[in-house]
Amino acid sequence: MRSFSEFNPAVVFLYFMFVTGPAMFCSNPVILVLSLAGAVTFFLVRNGSAHLKSHLGFFLLFVILALINPLISHNGVTVLFVLNNNPVTLEALLYGINSAVMVIAALYWLRSLTQIMTGDRLMYIFGRFSPKLALLISMTLRFVPLFSRQTAKTRNAQKALGLYKDDNIIDTILGDMRVYSIVITWALENGIITADSMSARGYGTGRRTSFSVFRMGLRDVILLIVTGALFAVCCIAAAQGSLKFGFYPALSRLQTDSTALAGIICYGVLAFLPSVIDMEVNIRWNLLRSRA
Amino acid sequence: MEFIKVESLSFTYPECTAPAVDSVSFAAEQGSFNVLCGATGCGKSTLLRLFKRELEVRGERSGRILYRGTPTDKLETKVSASRIGFVMQDPEQQIVTDKVWHELAFGLESLGTPQDVIARRTAEMASYFGIGSLYEKNTAELSGGQKQLLNLAAVMVMQPELLILDEPTAQLDPVAASDFISTLKKLNDDFGLTIMIAEHRLEEVIPLCSQLLIMERGRIILSGSPRDVIPRITDADIMSGMPSAARLFSSLDGRGACPVTVREGRDFLTGSYRNSARKIEENEYTHSPDTALGFKDVYFRYSKESPDVLNGLSFSIYTGELVCILGGNGSGKTTSLCTAAGLLRAYSGTVRVFGRKLKEYRNQSLYRGCLAMLPQDVKTVFLKNTVREELADAGIAPEELPFSLDDVLERHPYDLSGGQQQLAALAKVLAVKPRLLLLDEPTKALDPAAKLNIGRVLRKLRDEGMTIAIVTHDVEFAALFADRCMMFFNGKIVSEGTPRSFFADNSFYTTAISRMTRGFFDNAVTVTDAAELCRRNGAADDTD
Repeated sequence: MRSFSEFNPAVVFLYFMFVTGPAMFCSNPVILVLSLAGAVTFFLVRNGSAHLKSHLGFFLLFVILALINPLISHNGVTVLFVLNNNPVTLEALLYGINSAVMVIAALYWLRSLTQIMTGDRLMYIFGRFSPKLALLISMTLRFVPLFSRQTAKTRNAQKALGLYKDDNIIDTILGDMRVYSIVITWALENGIITADSMSARGYGTGRRTSFSVFRMGLRDVILLIVTGALFAVCCIAAAQGSLKFGFYPALSRLQTDSTALAGIICYGVLAFLPSVIDMEVNIRWNLLRSRA
Repeated sequence: MEFIKVESLSFTYPECTAPAVDSVSFAAEQGSFNVLCGATGCGKSTLLRLFKRELEVRGERSGRILYRGTPTDKLETKVSASRIGFVMQDPEQQIVTDKVWHELAFGLESLGTPQDVIARRTAEMASYFGIGSLYEKNTAELSGGQKQLLNLAAVMVMQPELLILDEPTAQLDPVAASDFISTLKKLNDDFGLTIMIAEHRLEEVIPLCSQLLIMERGRIILSGSPRDVIPRITDADIMSGMPSAARLFSSLDGRGACPVTVREGRDFLTGSYRNSARKIEENEYTHSPDTALGFKDVYFRYSKESPDVLNGLSFSIYTGELVCILGGNGSGKTTSLCTAAGLLRAYSGTVRVFGRKLKEYRNQSLYRGCLAMLPQDVKTVFLKNTVREELADAGIAPEELPFSLDDVLERHPYDLSGGQQQLAALAKVLAVKPRLLLLDEPTKALDPAAKLNIGRVLRKLRDEGMTIAIVTHDVEFAALFADRCMMFFNGKIVSEGTPRSFFADNSFYTTAISRMTRGFFDNAVTVTDAAELCRRNGAADDTD
């Protein structure tokens, strides 16, 4: 019983590649709508009613993106009305909406991805290529917040000493520059001690291994095979041209041959898979609790 | 064959004439607990670093260190890296990676240990050190004490046989420090781990110690079991770092075995002295009628959801007083100082500085000739490359200072010892001529002599009319130098009084001497107090 984010990071990362790939490279409206619906559902399943305001922001962005295209592109055969001597067409409007769906879907997948892929998960993925790179990422992830905390501390210290003026913008900039310059000295000083601590623990004595708390289990392998297979079907369908859809000059017909249907169904399963996994976990958990 | 043998070891830094370590020889058995002490700059750290080939610094070296009969520079690289563990002073800067589990695994990764072995050893270590629940956390989220335990655990996963520690508790508060020391004791007892530690805070370390080494100017001047060594110490600065029981014993020229723990000190007192005079008379304490810093029903929290850190805090500090505010970690001491300094704003209640509300001070006027605060991390005070530039930047000449910084004027502030840094930071503060000085843990990481020095400087400033409020964990310091002490708990002040009455009334949060003399004397809180009372009473066998 693991939620989707607890699967092996490499599998999760590949999943995001699989699910965003087809949505980025084909303009089939059904695929795109499935992608958007899957992405938003997954985000809601994970976050519930948190981030409500941000949804509104994304909706606004959606409207803007959808409306820009018909205003600048005048292709298409069905004229809705004329604006400033320029025809606004149905096809351009639908194309705009379609692209907006694509962009917003991609953004929602990305939001979930950044929530799930914390530093240590990224490091696990890239550490396989180079243990040194993994260490570098880990050290950077530690150092950046440390640096900004030291900057804030120094600024406060200077302020409480009455040596840091922020009456006007020039003073503020000068003060900040002084603070940054000493914090850099501090960082270098810090680096010497960290380097000592590293070599005291045998850094540089030979080949490094890269340890990680993540394991590749049977369930991870199954998930990888299932998502990979679904992705493959979508690719085949796209390669055969079954998912093609054109907007200009007139809308083309949606294809409904068996390859197209297989592609769409597989993509739908792929897009909703993480939401289903997470919801199933919730339901199973509640059931277990109610029996106990 | 001895486990560790040091043979006429000397070391001289480049461009120095005097050696930092001067023909040092000693031996340590396996499973022994060795404590190295001496004033700052006596060569302790240099000596410890020589044990670890990886930490070697440039310089002239002669003599040798034998580890199980092999000179350390001839040890295999992996043996040297893993069998000799090294823990440094600063808990933060030793940590390399962002996650606790990765930090634990770091050493083993460096040695190329296979994944499954790393998994087992890190898990074992995390459970042994009781940091299992922190395993997946970010290292930045840990407290100072947890960080230092992590550093120790990260060394212990490599299964060292010799553990070297360079002032590991200097940056920790007393509770975390004593936790750390008891972990060392456990390692020493459970695994027979050989320990070599340089420390200033000796009250708890000396009772564990099997060999005490006293260093002075690069030489080991005394060595042996603490009971033999302590009575032979002549240097007052070194003596001031020894456990209270031992100091009392030596200031009374006691005979017999030197006591090192509170219990032994108590036995020594009750066995050797009478207690007909139990009390040191005190003059009634009077403070000036004017309030320098007044808190009235102040409430503060860091975010809307978090609990109150200051919880109806009310207290007054009067002009010309030196007040120590004591209290545990997270009780809100530092927060109250930051609120007083206008760095944090209370959501309810009033803070008055010299009778005026904080918000009536506009355009930084609060910080001009009125109030100044020294933060806990004094490094954040410095902005320049030399102490001289620092002083010029702050606008004060070295001659105007009530203490001398002449020896260090041309040095980088970061290269100074803890005590010198504190003084240099204090000098910068004095430039703005504050009437109210707020200090956050000024004795952190200082050796005993530097603590006494800072205490004397603060006393002098107070005598010149400055009001000083100090937030500290250091009960011994407060007992020696404060006019009044306050106890902070759960966001408010729960008790206050002059040091004698304050510490005599506390049972746990008090000085070692107060604990030692409880029920025997009434208000002895410092070694001087206790020695004075003993002399007045006379020895127990005088009457027989």
